[in-house]
Amino acid sequence: MKKRLLLLSFFIASAFAASAQDSTKTDPPLTISGSVDTYFKYDFSGFKAPAGGPIAPGSSNIQTSFGNEQNSVSIGMIDLALKKKVGKAAFVGELSFGPRGSYQSIVPGSAGETFNIQNLYVSYDVTDKFNLTGGFMATFIGYEVISPVGNFNYSTSYLFTNGPFQNAGFKATYAFTDRVSLMAGVFNDSWNSYISNVDVSNFGAQLFISPVKGWTAYLNVITGPVSGTEFDFTTAYQITDMFKLGLNAADYSTAHGGNGFSGVAVYPQVAASKSVSFGLRGEYFKLKNGGPDVKAFTLTSNIKAGPLTIIPEFRIDGASTEQFVKGNLTPTKTASQFLIAAVYAF
Amino acid sequence: MMKKIIFGLFCLLYVQMASAQKDSLAFDEGDNYIYYRVADKPGLSADTLYKRAWDFAGTFNPSVKPAKGQAENTLNTSGKMIVYNGSSLVRKEGGQISYIINIQTKDQRYRYRISNFIFTPYQRDRFGNMVPIPGIEVPLERIAAKYGKKDADSYLDQIGSFCINTAAKLKQFIDKQPLANKTEPVKKISTQNW
Repeated sequence: MKKRLLLLSFFIASAFAASAQDSTKTDPPLTISGSVDTYFKYDFSGFKAPAGGPIAPGSSNIQTSFGNEQNSVSIGMIDLALKKKVGKAAFVGELSFGPRGSYQSIVPGSAGETFNIQNLYVSYDVTDKFNLTGGFMATFIGYEVISPVGNFNYSTSYLFTNGPFQNAGFKATYAFTDRVSLMAGVFNDSWNSYISNVDVSNFGAQLFISPVKGWTAYLNVITGPVSGTEFDFTTAYQITDMFKLGLNAADYSTAHGGNGFSGVAVYPQVAASKSVSFGLRGEYFKLKNGGPDVKAFTLTSNIKAGPLTIIPEFRIDGASTEQFVKGNLTPTKTASQFLIAAVYAF
Repeated sequence: MMKKIIFGLFCLLYVQMASAQKDSLAFDEGDNYIYYRVADKPGLSADTLYKRAWDFAGTFNPSVKPAKGQAENTLNTSGKMIVYNGSSLVRKEGGQISYIINIQTKDQRYRYRISNFIFTPYQRDRFGNMVPIPGIEVPLERIAAKYGKKDADSYLDQIGSFCINTAAKLKQFIDKQPLANKTEPVKKISTQNW
């Protein structure tokens, strides 16, 4: 009996070893990834929209996305993404809960409901170079993203805030080489919406080029009779192991009325050690049709401890008009804030 | 008592096998990781072995054309493999490892090395896919210092396992064994006689 048990344990162990060696042949496992984030922000004006007042509580003096709440320990979101690929077919479903993952980044449905979905799409590799994808997807436009894990800075740029967040549609991507690919697709007429207003009339395209190793560049366009037209250029170059430079430039025109915006943001980042890095975001953003412009500078550090990143950040914005407020709500041209965030990625 | 012994034995075997794959790698003269083997193949000339090795290289990674090495009867090819981190539910692609395979033959012997392991970490992109971080390349020898011992040990195990599999495939080509998939006989039972 004892011998049989020993033999059995040996065979079980052998089976484990055998399957481990064949792991490169099997489909990738179901991937679960995501993050949670929380932050504290203090706007130096002391501005805090009181409950019951004319300004919605939680409004920020600097009106870019996320990290809005003044003098408060607040939450961003819990983000959960599932991905599975079997053979050539794959799906991604990404759910998000919390202010950042619901009303701050997702347009509610017609009855005011939110479905808490950032990505929900299926894709199929027709060949090694040609892929088809359809569903509700994060936008391909811009440098910054909704997930705090994908950004160096915790607060976001004006270019990000004013551009699309998600686009629902159908796209085809062809990779000519590892360094050149082209995507083209049709998308719902309205950005960020689960359903179209009228039809699927936005056209979008992205040309990806990697001129040298470590340098990526994306030329993007999305255009349609409802949402207008945005041209976007996003590039990043890891120049050395320690230094990375990113740039985002965009121009947007509404479909009617000649409104829109244009702007540029640069993102130099330096790794001081394997766990500490510093980055600056300098942005110039201007509204069209005689609208004001704003210059914003954000100095951020990323301090990593395994999957946890601590993000202290100082930001100062200066506008051509008095679009910010002091603590007593009188208008002013400048605003500044300190923020510290903790982001855990898994 | 017996249960404890069996459990202990099981754990020991499991740990030993897990580390055995990592231990298949060694360090070369330059202190870089290498999987290196010398094999005898009596009765076959250097040219025949070289041709079979070339067939292996062409089949192993069809997207990369094998190249002749500087020394006589030497060839090089390269490739990439994906390594995973985390465990069970949160296991996902941690990065990719590029490598170079070098094979050299002479009469009745051949040797091969898998080396130049370079790690490119993955990050999750906006679409929820794990993709390489452009411009970040870390030699395998520096992974422990940069990403910690736990991840490094896991990646080394996976690379060791990959090298063992690759060596087995090369042996099949050198031995000229048919590569057709094994077809298990379908088990049939008769329901007529009972």
